[in-house]
Amino acid sequence: MSNARILAVDDSPTVLEMIKAILVSGGYEVITAVDGAEALETARNEMPDLILLDVMLPKLDGYRVCRLLKFDQKYKSIPIIMLTAKSEEQAIATGIRTGADQYLTKPVEPEKLLAAVAEELNKVQG
Amino acid sequence: MAEHGGSISKNLTTEEFLRFRDHINQQSGIYLEESKIDSLRISLVTRCTRFGLTSLDEYFELLSIDESELRELVNLLTVNETSFFRYSAQFDVLRDKVIPEILEQKTEGERSFRVWSAGCSTGEEPYTIAMTLIDSGIESMGYKLEVMGTDVSTSALERAEKGVYAPRSLLNVPSNVVDRFFEPTPEGHRITQEVRSLVEFKYHNLIKEPYPVSLIGSWDVIFCRNVTIYFRMESTRRVVENLFQSLNPGGYLFIGHSEALTGITDKFEALEFDGIFLYRKPRKKVAQSFAELVKSRLRERRSRALASKDGEGEAKDSKAARKAPQHGPAESDSPSEPVKPDEVPALLDRAREALAGGRPIEALEAVERVLAVNKDSAEAYLFAAYVHADNGDFEAALAEAERALSIDPLSAAARYSLGLIHLRTDRPEEATADFKRTIYTDADFVLAYLNLGNLYRARGRFADACREYEDALRALYRNPEGEWSVFLGGFKPDLLAKVCERSLLECRKKIESA
Ligand SMILES: C[S@@+](CC[C@H](N)C(=O)[O-])C[C@H]1O[C@@H](n2cnc3c(N)ncnc32)[C@H](O)[C@@H]1O
Repeated sequence: MSNARILAVDDSPTVLEMIKAILVSGGYEVITAVDGAEALETARNEMPDLILLDVMLPKLDGYRVCRLLKFDQKYKSIPIIMLTAKSEEQAIATGIRTGADQYLTKPVEPEKLLAAVAEELNKVQG
Repeated sequence: MAEHGGSISKNLTTEEFLRFRDHINQQSGIYLEESKIDSLRISLVTRCTRFGLTSLDEYFELLSIDESELRELVNLLTVNETSFFRYSAQFDVLRDKVIPEILEQKTEGERSFRVWSAGCSTGEEPYTIAMTLIDSGIESMGYKLEVMGTDVSTSALERAEKGVYAPRSLLNVPSNVVDRFFEPTPEGHRITQEVRSLVEFKYHNLIKEPYPVSLIGSWDVIFCRNVTIYFRMESTRRVVENLFQSLNPGGYLFIGHSEALTGITDKFEALEFDGIFLYRKPRKKVAQSFAELVKSRLRERRSRALASKDGEGEAKDSKAARKAPQHGPAESDSPSEPVKPDEVPALLDRAREALAGGRPIEALEAVERVLAVNKDSAEAYLFAAYVHADNGDFEAALAEAERALSIDPLSAAARYSLGLIHLRTDRPEEATADFKRTIYTDADFVLAYLNLGNLYRARGRFADACREYEDALRALYRNPEGEWSVFLGGFKPDLLAKVCERSLLECRKKIESA
């Protein structure tokens, strides 16, 4: 699914630029948000095909954004990939559920990020 | 020596299991399910290792002659003990009194109802809460329900996640509840999707501070029942204080029916409903939300800094100076030793790590401690600025970054941060000026060029933008790992090069097509 539209959320403009660069190189269209509240609003207004969500966000943390969207019949089918800090790795390994479709640990290798995005988009399509 | 653990840790035979089960049942009245075979094995290994015993026979003998050992074993075995609708009257009060009262207090915009089951064991408690919430009908009033179960036992959490229970666990559950919220499967009774979708489980140790941001605020109700009973008094105090902080004003804490907060805290209002004791957080109190918590920490910090400043005049030599902060108002709550100046670098490292790991309160605490000995640490102020920026409080972030700069006007990182904050608060002019100044102090600060490029590009000044992107690339080749790389969020500088190249190409195209 090239030309898919991806919402990338991170509070650091530089990191956001980097993520955008990776996604654009994969042929995706990218929209961005810099905090949890904006992420939620953008997701609802724009209906992206996939969301890349940082955990640590001002206003609403990524987990809550994820949960709020996954709660909602209208948005629950949008795949969400969470970007988590190293320190959260263990919590995830022990099988903790937040409703996200996939987790990636920061910093993410560009290839891994693209692979994860492609995988999630395929699932929705298939 | 090494083998004895191994010889016990292989699976318990059914015979061994029955032997211990019957003995424990006879002596203590506690009946162990088949499913408990694993926890029995773990407990037995733990106790055998404790005494250096090499066989279960030896331990069985010990158990038969030593009553206190039986108690120890039973304690180990029952730490995860729980059940559906345990003290069911508490759930009636939750549904009939607590929920309606809290809803009444909520404003139009607050559309969620959040309950935390702290020490949730194998999930019976949070699932019971979810069933009670569904029963109360508040979902149909447009509230999003959230139940969070946390525990330190990963095996308990795994079972909780699974949500499948043996028939025996449902003995005390009314049949209409079983019909509505459970579905039979070959493995046992599974909680229905309707209930499961409201509940989330997470590993969390109540003793470990600070609590993660995701837990620290805005719970309407917290259950923490039969968890702190084995804690030391001081630990229980800390836990209850943290739960207090995590509750919304007017929120309720449920504790076990044989527990009490007497002697632990007097911050809660103790109430009684139909013979059930409940604890409510007073409605109008300060410092509830995370943002306010951060603010109050900083306020404390400042008054502490002021207090130690007052003491400065008389405290010229270093020995006296070290004592000075103790006159401050903070001595009551901080058990920490006064910081020695040579600990400062380690504390700054800790703040940096805490920030990177997403533990802002811990970062702030390290910052506070640094500033207690060195009020002129530009780096400490800068970290405080990051915490505020992360928290969305850009005004406070601005103030801290400016403080850092007033101490060290040549700090490129502080200047750059100021630029970022201006960028985030829609002040492109100021941001531009700050990024330019960043470059004056550090000509290799790649990210400042990049941001300038982006700013020009946004205003349609493509030629200027190209120049900045080119400068960024040049700086990157000169010095691929400058001070600025901490702002990359772990991405590699070569990716940054790609970002700059791509932006450069796009801007050149714009110029050509114009
Ligand atoms: C007896 S169970 C209580 C379960 C449930 N709250 C109830 O009342 O039915 C106690 C639980 O507390 C958990 N626990 C013990 N120490 C803990 C800690 N430091 N942090 C979080 N949970 C803890 C144990 O793993 C156990 O699952």
